[in-house]
Amino acid sequence: MSKPATPAVATTAPESRPAPFRRLLKRIVGNSGTLVGGGLLLLIVLAALLGPVFYPQDPFAQDVANRIAEPFWNGGPAIHPLGTDTLGRDYLARLLYGGRISLLIGVLAVSMAAAIGVTLGLVAGYFGGRVDLVVRFLITTRLAMPVVLVALSVVATVGNSLTIVILVLGFLIWDRFAVVARTTAMQVRGIDYVKAARAVGSSHARIIFKEILPNISNGLIVVATVELANAILLEAALSFLGLGVQPPLPSWGLMIAEAKDYLFFSPWLITLPGIALVLLVLAINLLGDGVRDITAPSGTR
Amino acid sequence: MKNGLVSLKALGLAAALALTVAGPALAGKKDDTLHVVWRVSVPNLDPQHNNLREGVVIGQLIWDTLVYKNPDTGAFEPLLADSWNWIDNTTVEFKLKHGVKFHNGDDFSADDVVYTLNYVANPASKIAVPGNGSWIDKAEKIDDFTVRVKLKKPFPAAMEYFAVPLLIYPAKYHAKVGAEGMGKAPVGTGPYKAVTVDGVKRYLLERNENGVPNSPKGRAKIGKVEIRTVTDSAAEMVELLAGRADWIWKFNSDQFDKLDKMPRIAASRDESMRIDFLLLDAIAPGDNPLAKQQVRQAINYAIDREKFVKYLVQGNARVIDAPCYPGQFGCDTSAAVHYGYDPAKAKALLAEAGYPNGFTTQMVGFRSAQWTAAIQNDLAAVGIKAQVSMVEGAVLVEKTKKGEAPVAHWDWGSLSVNDVSAVLPNFFGDEGYDRSQDKEVKALLDKAGTSVDQAERRTLYAQAIKLITERAYSVPLHTFTINYAYNRELDFKAYPDELPRFYQYGWK
Repeated sequence: MSKPATPAVATTAPESRPAPFRRLLKRIVGNSGTLVGGGLLLLIVLAALLGPVFYPQDPFAQDVANRIAEPFWNGGPAIHPLGTDTLGRDYLARLLYGGRISLLIGVLAVSMAAAIGVTLGLVAGYFGGRVDLVVRFLITTRLAMPVVLVALSVVATVGNSLTIVILVLGFLIWDRFAVVARTTAMQVRGIDYVKAARAVGSSHARIIFKEILPNISNGLIVVATVELANAILLEAALSFLGLGVQPPLPSWGLMIAEAKDYLFFSPWLITLPGIALVLLVLAINLLGDGVRDITAPSGTR
Repeated sequence: MKNGLVSLKALGLAAALALTVAGPALAGKKDDTLHVVWRVSVPNLDPQHNNLREGVVIGQLIWDTLVYKNPDTGAFEPLLADSWNWIDNTTVEFKLKHGVKFHNGDDFSADDVVYTLNYVANPASKIAVPGNGSWIDKAEKIDDFTVRVKLKKPFPAAMEYFAVPLLIYPAKYHAKVGAEGMGKAPVGTGPYKAVTVDGVKRYLLERNENGVPNSPKGRAKIGKVEIRTVTDSAAEMVELLAGRADWIWKFNSDQFDKLDKMPRIAASRDESMRIDFLLLDAIAPGDNPLAKQQVRQAINYAIDREKFVKYLVQGNARVIDAPCYPGQFGCDTSAAVHYGYDPAKAKALLAEAGYPNGFTTQMVGFRSAQWTAAIQNDLAAVGIKAQVSMVEGAVLVEKTKKGEAPVAHWDWGSLSVNDVSAVLPNFFGDEGYDRSQDKEVKALLDKAGTSVDQAERRTLYAQAIKLITERAYSVPLHTFTINYAYNRELDFKAYPDELPRFYQYGWK
C-alpha cells in the first residue's frame, strides 16, 4: 500500500484529494471487465428493482386459457412480450420478479456469511493462539461438508421457504470470508499503526474493527462478489431440485426446472431464465475480477 | 411462427431432427426389438413386491394369471385355468390347463397355484399390496389340475383380482429363491421370458416360444422387448426423438400435438381408469379448518375443474363428481353432489365456518407441480393460502397416513380393477388412507364389499357416494388421459386399464 509517491502527486500537493479518485476512475475506465460487469449488474439490478414497478403484468396471475403463449419473435401477443409460462403467467414479469428473488437471496445470504466469516477470521487472525485453533477447527469442519448435500438435507428436513434458503446458504458459505480475513488480519496485526493503536490504549474491538478491518476490506470485497455469484447459483440449483424457494414465487432456478419438459418444443421457456442467470453471474464475476485488479497494489491491469 | 425470423422453436426441432439422423438407428423393425423407455425404476420385478404401474406392465409380460379379462369385451377368458366354477359365495374351483411349462422348464400344476395363492394370502409374505390377497382364506389342491379357493367372506371383485394381480409363480423356484431371487431372475409362463435384468436400469425380454397353449394373450409378435429406465422426462424425450426408443408414455400433454406431427412418430391418448383428486384431512387434531364440513365444501366450490381439465390435463379426460372412475362398477355419478365452480359461494361458506379471511394450510402433491400450482391458485382466490410441497409418491402415501398432508393431491388407478371396491374403501372405508373415519360411510362400504347381490351393492355404493360427496371428504377432480408416443411402424393400441400389452403389438 505504501508505494513511493509519484512525482505528479508530489508536485500537485495542494490539490492531492481528487488525484487518487481520478486515478481510481482511470483504472476503472481502463478495466473493461469492471465496466462491462458493473454496467450489466447495474442494469440487472435496476430491472429487478424498478421493472416490476413499471411493467404492469402480475407475475402470479394465472391464465390457463393462455398457456405457453409464444414470445414476440415467434409472433406472440403484444401483451406478453416474452410469452407466458405453462400456467399462463407473464414470462417477462416472472423474470423481473425472479431477478429480485435471486438478488435478495444473494445479498442477504452473503451479508450473513460475511458477518460470520469476517468476525471469526478477524478474531482468529488478531488473537492467534487458542482462539485461532478453535476457528481453524470450525473452518475445517465447514470445509469438510459438501455444500449442496448439506443444503439439500437441511431443506428436505426443515421444509423450504425463502427465509430457510437464505439462512442455509448464509451458514454454508462463510468459509472463504473467514480464511481471507484470518490470513490478512495476521499480516496486518504486526504493522506499526496497529501497534500504535495498542500503545494509545485502544480496546481490542476498536483495533479489530476500526484499524484492521478497513485495511483488509479490499480482499473481502472480492470474496463477497465470488460468494454472491455462488449463492445465486446455489439457490438456482436448490430451486431446480424443488428444494429452494416455494412456488408460486418465481426463481430463475425454479423457472428452469418448470421448463425442463418443454426443452424441445418451446425452448424459450428454458432459455430465457438460463440466459438471465448466466448474465447475472457473469456480471458479478467480471465485477469481482475488476475490483481485484483495480485494488491490487501493483494495480494498473 | 412469423416468416423471416428463425424461431427458437424451429431451431429446437432442427436439433431434434439432427439427433434423429445422428443417433444410431437401433430402434424399430430392423432388429425386431421393441425399445421401451420410461422413468420409473421398479425396485423388485417380483409382481407381489412392487406396487408400481410399470411393475404391473412387466408382470403381465413375464407371468400369467388364471383367467384373462378381455379388454374389449370385459369378459373373463380361460388362461392358466381352463374353466372355473363358483361352488358357493365363498368357494371357487379352477380346472387348470395341461401341458404348460414355466420358462425354466418346470411343469405347471395345481401345486404352483396353491403355493402362489397361499403366499399372497399370508400376511407374513409382506406383499406390496396386501389387498391383493387379504380376502383369500386358503387355496387347496384337489388333484394335480384342480384347485379350490376358499374366500374369507363373499368378495364380488374376486375375478378381477384373479385376472390381473394374481400372477402365478413356479412354486419350487419361488420357494427356493424367494422374492429377492425372483426379482433378479424372474420365471413365469408369460409370453416373454426375462433374459437380462440389469438392476433397475435395463430389462431385456425375449419371446417365449413355449407359451401357454391357446392363451388369449397369444404368441408374442415382436421377438424382443428391451426396457430401459431414464431419470427424467427430458431424457426420455431425447431417446424417442433420437430414434433410440420405440415407445414412451405419460409424457407432458403439451407435447402431444407436436410429437404427433413428427414424421417418424405417432402419438395417441386414451382415457384411463386413474382419477385425480384432493384428499382432505378431516380428522387431524388441533385447530383444523378442514374438520368443518363447510370448509371442505368451500374447497370443492373453489376449484375450476372444467378449465383445469380443458387446458392442463387435455385429451379426453373428464371432470368427475364422484370419487371413483365413472365406468367402474358401483360408481354412480348421479348419486354424487355436483359442486360447480363458484368462488363466491366458497367464500360465503368459509365465512359461515368462521374463516372470513381464509386460512393457511399445507398441500402436498407428487404428480405434477404445474397441476398442483393451478389448484393452489384457485384456493388462493378464495382466501385459502396453501403452502405447496412436491414429494415422491411414496412420501405422499406416508404423509397422508401420518396426517401430515392436510390437502393431499392424489391420484389412483384402482389397480386396473373395474369395481369401486378397489378405490372407495381405500380412501373412505378405513383401508389405508382414510382421513375421514366416517363410521356411516364405512358401514355402507363394508356391507357393499361383502354382498353378492349386485343390485344391492349398486344401491349401497350410491348411498356411500352421496354421503362422501355431501360431507366433502375429497375433491374429485378428473379422470386421466394417458399419453403414448411411439414409432409409427408399431401397431399399437391403448386400453383404458392402463396396461399396454406389448405381446399383442407387431410391426406394420
